[in-house]
Amino acid sequence: MSDLYLSNLRNWFWKSPPAAWLMKGAREVLIGTLKQGPIPRHVAFEMDGNRRFAKNHKIETIEGHHLGFEALARVLEICYKCGVKVVTVYAFSIENFNRPRPEVDGLMAMAKIKLEQLIQHGELLDRYGAGIRVLGERSMIPPDVLPFVDRAIEMTKHNKDAVLNICFPYTSRAEMTSAIRATVDEYTTPTRPSNSPFSQTRISQKIRSNQSKKASSLAPIREASPDASATDTAPKSDVDDSMSSTTALDHESPPLPSTSAKPPRLPDPEKITAETINSHTYTADCPPLDIFIRTSNVTRLSDFMLWQCHEDAHIFFLKCFWPEFDLWHFVPVLLEWQWRKKKLTEK
Amino acid sequence: MSFNARDTQLYREDERAGHTKLGVEEREELVKNYLPAPPARERSSSRGRKAKDKSRFGLRKVVKAQLFVFLYAFVHAIFSVYIRMRIAYRAVSVRAVSILNYHHNTPEYVRRDVGKLRRLPEHLSVILTLEDGGSGDNALQLLVNEVSEIAAWCASAGIPQLSIYEKTGLLKRYMNRTYRTVNQKLSAWFGKNQAPPQALATRGASTLQSPNRADLPRERCLTIILVSEDDGREAMVDLTKVLATMVQKEKIRPKDITTDIVDSELSDAVMREPDLLISFEPYVNLQGYPPWPIRLTEIYCEPDNQGVGYQIFLRGLRKYSQATFKIGK
Repeated sequence: MSDLYLSNLRNWFWKSPPAAWLMKGAREVLIGTLKQGPIPRHVAFEMDGNRRFAKNHKIETIEGHHLGFEALARVLEICYKCGVKVVTVYAFSIENFNRPRPEVDGLMAMAKIKLEQLIQHGELLDRYGAGIRVLGERSMIPPDVLPFVDRAIEMTKHNKDAVLNICFPYTSRAEMTSAIRATVDEYTTPTRPSNSPFSQTRISQKIRSNQSKKASSLAPIREASPDASATDTAPKSDVDDSMSSTTALDHESPPLPSTSAKPPRLPDPEKITAETINSHTYTADCPPLDIFIRTSNVTRLSDFMLWQCHEDAHIFFLKCFWPEFDLWHFVPVLLEWQWRKKKLTEK
Repeated sequence: MSFNARDTQLYREDERAGHTKLGVEEREELVKNYLPAPPARERSSSRGRKAKDKSRFGLRKVVKAQLFVFLYAFVHAIFSVYIRMRIAYRAVSVRAVSILNYHHNTPEYVRRDVGKLRRLPEHLSVILTLEDGGSGDNALQLLVNEVSEIAAWCASAGIPQLSIYEKTGLLKRYMNRTYRTVNQKLSAWFGKNQAPPQALATRGASTLQSPNRADLPRERCLTIILVSEDDGREAMVDLTKVLATMVQKEKIRPKDITTDIVDSELSDAVMREPDLLISFEPYVNLQGYPPWPIRLTEIYCEPDNQGVGYQIFLRGLRKYSQATFKIGK
């Protein structure tokens, strides 16, 4: 028999209405208090320890995951009340597909049911002003879950106050690779001709006609030096710098009729910056990650939010298992973060 | 959600019955008490009725806000005292242990300390920081000394690969000096002729190597890699540039860019995944450490500790030997 369901005296006490009422009040006051200080804008949770929790308490693995879901709901409420803008949770890793089949199926069924319920209560979710996004490899979501995912995202798209990012099936390396690929894609699609009223061909034609006028007067020199770049120096004096490059280009290519299509102009890869790659990650429009929390005393990142957390995020490794996670675990983290922020600003 | 006991029970019973027990409305009824008030735009219709008791609520709000401000100051005062005591206590305990258990600059002592561990990392990584913004020769000297200390510990413990992350990349500019200091340190620890050969490498510069390195097996050698902030996002940007150029020239297709390709390129150019990362800072903050290689790295950080210490190094190794690894399971 699981010790979770043992009704001991302590449980009875905490469940009694006065105690419950007091605890509820205490939570409210605590959250209201913490709100006075700086509040992280983006928090990531790696929900680890559902299975070990289940094992320690001798309940089924999937039950552990269900309790983990309850913990998630609790945490989201706390974050929402504190005013955290974005919460990112690691729901399912690509590597998790290697787990025993029944467990994977159970998790998928759970995701389906929870999303289905979410869709049924859409208007309640609007009260939180929370939008849901699913980050990860879309193609790996099982086909029976996918429509629910899409519905949930679609229904909450208009909510901008708070965002819940569910990473499902996700790994950070896959994310970084896809960001690199998307950047490469961006830099290998030709830029569209801009709608500016100035036509490049017209300008170069004008310059060329100016040159030919000059060239006719300077004909002997031109014949003396057939090298194109040498003749370029002559018009450069009266044509401005940016245009001289156009003339140089046109010397190499034979003069084209003004309407003909030029070869597609590709953007210069040297212009790629870290910002470009960042704009292709899943969390491009989220504020930078402030707090990263991993439960169950494992001190690894395990392929979660590597790109986001390696700069300024404060990483916390907690000893408790995820299903146990509650306000009482979150408050010390938040307090310490606020304290460090204060220290850093003092410096 | 912080449901009360009765509602939690209702929810769990419904869950066990496969969500057949409660209908949509009943479920909504269940959570209704816990929801926040509807957004302001919906409330505006009933403003007339609300206006009457506004004053009372206003006063209550002011009192509440004042209470929260006061409580915030109070809680933070208490917390500040607590954290200072914690820092002091931990500093004293680390100091005490390090006096009792000093390595005396002898490889045998380090070997004895490490011998009890079940396994050692193949590749250790450390994060070092420059003192006071790193101006002046003094800061560099301190940093180089720390590098040589850690190198000596690793060589004694038998860790073949060490990577040193320092955000600004100052060490990379003084590679020769670092190399010399490490050599001196190793000779001081092991004796002039017994010192293990070392190699000092970094991205985009030629490796400095001991001349006798080739004759010895790889395990006896020490390879040090210097890493800085530029090896993180910037290295990935460089790789992206190369890939973009290749796609533009139609040497590869965008589809060919896979995690494997990126991984092999970045491991060759920067470094492979370290097994253990030790941070000598008071809390875990990666300070721009390359994001690609830290995927499964065990991270160790002695809370509230500031500065490099042998005890921290040992504790990190101990933590690593106890950790269990299971990818995705």
